[in-house]
Amino acid sequence: MTKGSEPQETIYEHLRSKGVSRRDFVKYCGALAGTMAFCGVPAPVEASGLPASLAGPQADATPLIVRAFETKPRVPVIWLEFQDCAGCTEALTRSQSPTLGDLVLNEISIDYHETLFAAAGFQAEENRDAMMQKYHGQYVLVVEGSIPVADGGIHCTIGGRTALDLLEEAAEGAAAIISTGNCSSFGGLPKADPNPTEAKGVWEIITDKPVVNIPGCPAIPEVTTAVLLQFIVFGTLPELDDLNRPKTFYGQTIHDRCLRRPFYEAGKFAKSFDDEGARKGWCLYKLGCKGPTTYNACATIKWDAGLSFPIQSGHPCLGCSQPNFWDGGGFYQGQSAPLNRPGAAAVGVAAAAGAVVGAGAATANRMKKRRAGSAEPGDEDA
Amino acid sequence: MKTTRAIDTFVEETGGWVASQLEACTRCGICAEACHFYQATGNPDFAPVWKVELLKRAYEQEFTLGGKLRTMLHLQKKVDEADLEAWSKLVYEACTVCNKCAMVCPMGIQLGPIIHDVRAGLAEAGMVPDDLAAAVNKQIEEGSPLGVTDDVFESRLEWIADDWEIDLPVDKEGADTLVIFSSIEIMKFPDNLAHIASILNAAGENWTLSSKAREVVNFGFYEGSADHTRLLLSRVFDGAVELGVKKIVVTECGHAYDALRWTAPNLMDVPDIEITHIAAVLGEYVESGRITLKAGAYDGDGKITFHDACKIQRRGGHIEEPRKLLSILAPESFTEMTPNREQAICCGGGGGVIAIKEADPIRYKAFELKIAQAEAVGAETVVMACSNCRLQFLDGAEHFDWDMKFRGLAEMVAEAME
Amino acid sequence: MDWNATLEFARGPFFTAALFVFVGGLTYRLVRVLTLGWSRDRVPSAGSKAGGVAKSYGKGLIIWPFVPWVKQTFAGNAVTLIAGGIFHLGLFAIIIFGAPHMLAWKSMLGFGWPTLPLPIIDWLAAAAIAAMVALAINRVANPLLRKLSGPAEALNWLFVFLPMLTGYMTTHHLLFRYEVIYSLHVLAVDVMLIWIPFSRISHFVFYFFSRTIHGAQFGKRAVTP
Ligand code: SF4
Ligand code: SF4
Ligand code: SF4
Repeated sequence: MTKGSEPQETIYEHLRSKGVSRRDFVKYCGALAGTMAFCGVPAPVEASGLPASLAGPQADATPLIVRAFETKPRVPVIWLEFQDCAGCTEALTRSQSPTLGDLVLNEISIDYHETLFAAAGFQAEENRDAMMQKYHGQYVLVVEGSIPVADGGIHCTIGGRTALDLLEEAAEGAAAIISTGNCSSFGGLPKADPNPTEAKGVWEIITDKPVVNIPGCPAIPEVTTAVLLQFIVFGTLPELDDLNRPKTFYGQTIHDRCLRRPFYEAGKFAKSFDDEGARKGWCLYKLGCKGPTTYNACATIKWDAGLSFPIQSGHPCLGCSQPNFWDGGGFYQGQSAPLNRPGAAAVGVAAAAGAVVGAGAATANRMKKRRAGSAEPGDEDA
Repeated sequence: MKTTRAIDTFVEETGGWVASQLEACTRCGICAEACHFYQATGNPDFAPVWKVELLKRAYEQEFTLGGKLRTMLHLQKKVDEADLEAWSKLVYEACTVCNKCAMVCPMGIQLGPIIHDVRAGLAEAGMVPDDLAAAVNKQIEEGSPLGVTDDVFESRLEWIADDWEIDLPVDKEGADTLVIFSSIEIMKFPDNLAHIASILNAAGENWTLSSKAREVVNFGFYEGSADHTRLLLSRVFDGAVELGVKKIVVTECGHAYDALRWTAPNLMDVPDIEITHIAAVLGEYVESGRITLKAGAYDGDGKITFHDACKIQRRGGHIEEPRKLLSILAPESFTEMTPNREQAICCGGGGGVIAIKEADPIRYKAFELKIAQAEAVGAETVVMACSNCRLQFLDGAEHFDWDMKFRGLAEMVAEAME
Repeated sequence: MDWNATLEFARGPFFTAALFVFVGGLTYRLVRVLTLGWSRDRVPSAGSKAGGVAKSYGKGLIIWPFVPWVKQTFAGNAVTLIAGGIFHLGLFAIIIFGAPHMLAWKSMLGFGWPTLPLPIIDWLAAAAIAAMVALAINRVANPLLRKLSGPAEALNWLFVFLPMLTGYMTTHHLLFRYEVIYSLHVLAVDVMLIWIPFSRISHFVFYFFSRTIHGAQFGKRAVTP
């Protein structure tokens, strides 16, 4: 995949040209339908161009997807990485079925991706520019990593241009923008206090385009895939909440769906990672679990093909999909704890301030007592 | 002017001891249920916490930033003369300073002594009820609120000595023990002098009366004026020092005992003389065998109960002695009222209340509690060790036409000596 | 409203500020009271002051409201005594032995302790909340308590009641999203911390003065306090 394809070419045609058999194609479509259904992505019938009679609540979405892929041209995707660790990409390439990530990213439509691209340097940059021109107003922009804005954005540059500049340019021609991971959604690790680069999430910078936030560290690959697919296949974006997160995946907290919840309700907590409670699978609240305030789909979609997720494996939720999660208290500190441990010195200062005011009052009071003529406190009953 | 004097006194009286307790109050109102005046009338003004409200307000307006701010913003009224008048009625007429309230306050606030401090301010401001103020003046001028002048003292003693055929040493050189009676005893219960004298003589006590320290009552202490209290205390101490005694025995007056034993050292320099109460002396005599009592002397005479005087028992500490005596004198018929000992209900006449005519209605109301208490155990005799209580019992019984016998502890002991 | 930010504010800077006001304010009051001066008690003791103090605390803390001789008082004040007792019991049990509260202490003190199972905490909380409602009704209904109550008493009640109510709702996920009600809970606690030094809720400090004085007064007279 070193050069762009003709926009007229349908996805099916494109896949066929890459040597995918009809049989495999239908299998892919089935896998995708499974993912989407599992993730609760609605399959709009109109988008598929099929008669409405084919779409019931229980209807298998496979024919819809097959039909869509046969009739729709490829939607190009441009994937930009800024202040990131490529963890989201990493996660995505390991997503549910190994072929799925490949399918979506490599085969279907990816047109620029720094990590996955074979091309490098100016060649890749040129390719990207060409794509952006060619598919202006049609492509999906996926952003991974936060954007530093301090000092004119110089803290992250690619090919001599700042991330801010690149983002603004790419966003201008994008049909939709998807921020994958906490960094591009909410600033992530680079934004952690004291945030020296003034890292920001995409939606804080681009305000005139639909931006879907898929926070997480990394984002759950199935969620990214599902959102991408929804747009590629049906041309729609999922319904978003007030933090621009897809409601389907971020409507509930980890705690809401946690398998250890009954232990929480019963007040049974693991107190260390190897105590009896931990072995018995008790609630991890006391080990600092942030599940109660964390909105994400880990507890339902899970990781590694639905194998497990941190809490199931015995580790408390870090709250990685929440804004400012790096500054939300220690990972192993109780969620109920104050964010900062006021130092003894600071408390001492407060006490000293109180003592000074108190001493002021005391001086006035003693003068008053002297004026009133008492030599002694005068408690006969002391 | 009056207000200034009161406030100045409050300022003077309020040290950490008072302030910390004022700060501790949660305004829960539990103390009210302990006060016989509140219990008897249900009047919220009589709640102990409300009685100290005046001092609390003064404390806040004078000492605390919050209080100053509130009075500045007119959220809290500054203490004025009308307040002094209102509180004068509360703390003199509706409080016997019995300190029962301190026993129930969850915070353990010493409301009695703090109410005493309220009295102190009012006394300096000249807001003492007329009757009480008159008695104070009389004591200062004549030496006794009940008119026991030098002459009266002399003639009363002569008469008692004659009538009861008893030796009453006065100003005896070299005596160890000075016994000081209250003028209530001298004038109203002269037999008490005779009985106590006979016990002391029987025990071989080297004792004397004093013509100088002849009045143990301290109306200055009732009133709350520190100066007057000191003046009257010094008469007692001067007399004792002159005689060179080692011990002062206070007879049946609770308030006097409180002033002499538990307050004087914090008010003035006091001579190194032991101060004790007659109830303790009686207990000690029996304990050590200096006198012996006829066991069961009063059994078969109907049920006998003991009234704890606030200032002799709860505030005085002599709770066990009378009980020890009664368990010898009437092991069968002695019964306790409930509540008793340090939790006992005040008779309602102490703290100078009985001296104030205006207080009569509530004083009688409060006494009803005492009647109910005694009747609940079917008592036929109420014993006590305070002549002020006895006065209240007699007066109350007459008022309510209550058929009950009242006896002094000393009298019972004297009559049962073998 | 960004509840995530609200929660951070409530747990972070606002809590720190509230704690400072709490510590500073209480220190001010303590210093003010302590510096008013204490005279030495020159009265010779007949009993033991220390013993009296010990008994005073024993009575004050454990058995006091339930001893028969205060029956009379008890009867006249059943609501204040029972509801007051339940409220204090619940309050202390929860803020010390509730798991989330212990974690809060732990983060500040550096060490933790075992906690009570949620169902127990839960019942205590419900009882404490009910007790507070009873106390409020009693305060309005009883003529004496009405007389003793002003705006300050109403605020005392409110600023203690809100943390308890929101705390209960937080554990039960009632009405609001978790982070919303949790933020409200922490905010309510912060407000309470700020209010305490300026109110009679600080009786938990001065309690130790008055209770000690009580014990000493009676102890020195050899009377059971
Ligand atoms: S482990 Fe975390 S998310 Fe699960 S029940 Fe406990 S606190 Fe909630
Ligand atoms: S000291 Fe006695 S009379 Fe005075 S308020 Fe207290 S309980 Fe009532
Ligand atoms: S019982 Fe104590 S705390 Fe309660 S109102 Fe009375 S003095 Fe205040």
